[in-house]
Amino acid sequence: MGCGGLEILSDRIGAGLWAAGLPRALRELLLVRAQASSGFFSGAQAVCQDAVVTQQLLQEGFHRELLLQVELGATREDLGRCTVAARTRLPPGIYVDPYELASLQRHNFTKALVIPDAVDVEAPEYLASDLVVLLYMTPDPRCSGCFTATLPVHGRYHRPAENNGTALVALKSPEILICCCDNHLSTECWKPSDVEAACLGRSSHPCQWYSVKHKPVSEELIMQIPVGLRQHRFLVCVTTLLATVLCSSMILAAACRYGHSPLQTCSEQKYRSMK
Amino acid sequence: PRAVSTRGNAEALVALLVLATLYYTEGSSVARAAACYGLAVHVKIYPLTYALPIALHLQGRQHGHGAALAMGHHGKARSPLLGFLWQLLTNRDVLLFGAVAGSVLGSLTFAFYYLYGWEFLEHAYLYHLTRRDTRHNFSPYFYMLYLTAESRWSFALGLAAFLPQLLLLVVVSVVFYRDLAFCCFLHTAIFVSFNKVCTSQYFVWYLCLLPLIIPNLRMSWRRGALLLSLWFLGQGLWLAPGYFLEFKGYNTFLLIWLAGLLFLSINTFVLVQIISHYQREAQVVEKNKQR
Repeated sequence: MGCGGLEILSDRIGAGLWAAGLPRALRELLLVRAQASSGFFSGAQAVCQDAVVTQQLLQEGFHRELLLQVELGATREDLGRCTVAARTRLPPGIYVDPYELASLQRHNFTKALVIPDAVDVEAPEYLASDLVVLLYMTPDPRCSGCFTATLPVHGRYHRPAENNGTALVALKSPEILICCCDNHLSTECWKPSDVEAACLGRSSHPCQWYSVKHKPVSEELIMQIPVGLRQHRFLVCVTTLLATVLCSSMILAAACRYGHSPLQTCSEQKYRSMK
Repeated sequence: PRAVSTRGNAEALVALLVLATLYYTEGSSVARAAACYGLAVHVKIYPLTYALPIALHLQGRQHGHGAALAMGHHGKARSPLLGFLWQLLTNRDVLLFGAVAGSVLGSLTFAFYYLYGWEFLEHAYLYHLTRRDTRHNFSPYFYMLYLTAESRWSFALGLAAFLPQLLLLVVVSVVFYRDLAFCCFLHTAIFVSFNKVCTSQYFVWYLCLLPLIIPNLRMSWRRGALLLSLWFLGQGLWLAPGYFLEFKGYNTFLLIWLAGLLFLSINTFVLVQIISHYQREAQVVEKNKQR
């Protein structure tokens, strides 16, 4: 049997033990012993269940909402006093507006930290840098051990393309982090992670963050952004300049005709400006 | 203005200061006008363009409009332009205005620099020098600048976009300075329409001066309504493809660009109509001088 088969076997044994009404600790102990005796015990990974992460981009155009849904292996009771967060790295093609986030936080819709905290919202993609966002997740009523969060994101302007009027921005799968201050997490499934974010529990000092290995449902999310076409360049430049020269001549003519006579005659000035 | 101001831009405040400047200038309180002007420029930089019309107006008022711009009447006539400039810059009212406005602006700048440091200078002034924002906006130049943002023609095209604006502002100042409110209205309308970046917020800058010139507009209600509808239509035709680009993700860049050119044409038409239907108060001014 491969790893997948091992997990199925563990699930079945676990389910059987649960059905037998045994307390959790005893169940786990028996499960490990069952696997060990069956010869399929392959180390710590056997008792860890992967977290399942899905990410979706809602809405269309430049202004989107990134919807993250996480399904952790543990039950809601285990994670009752834990803080779950997702750490995602946004490529230069996408940004978050810190002021928008601050406003959402004030109304208790979304809580997120942006590193760096100063974002140039006007910069095009080729002048911008990556952003790291730590998004706090809330329990999802859909299922036990599920968490969800939404993050409003915006697309930046990209370089004009030669032929294809769409640029693609790839959003990698986020890293799921958890922080439980009562230290009941088994260190086999979770590895310590350094996160510069607050996670306060009963003690006054911040608790340790852990990151989980997960199996994302879809590896990368692609966002499509429209871009200008370079092949239009000549036409656009010539037409724009012609139009502006024409319009300014019309205003100049009207001003000279209806205004007071200036230093030199109006026609002389207009002649010099057209040269 | 209230709706725009609540988004974080105090346009209503600048409009008030500009109107106060014009009021005091017309009413011969040069020092008060200059103080309001200095404060206005500190709040937003665009009133800086009013310096030329105001200077011409002050100088013209003192020397009499007819003789003010005559060639060779004052000083050396080697170059009439230089002679005129010299005359302008040594005029008592102009100097007073410049001194008061300069000191108000200077002391405010110094005070805020003392309070906020380099960050203030950067965000208030320097940012405008280096800002490159080629996202879609009403300006006719937007697509041109977006497509050529990284090319070697970028600087030259930026300059080519600036020259018609500059020329128009100078000419309009020189031919309309006698009626300061009208001149400033045209000034700002031209500045906004021919600018490299143009957003709805900028429209407030000249709309606040519109009530000052409407009494002198000899135009039928029907024509006025038509011009206003055209102006709104121009904006609507731009906003539609803009919405589809930003909120639906369609590639409507060409449509937005064409709508921008159309909006410029409509603005030009409206301005030409306003200029041609404006009744100059020349007779009133002559009567006042004779008293």
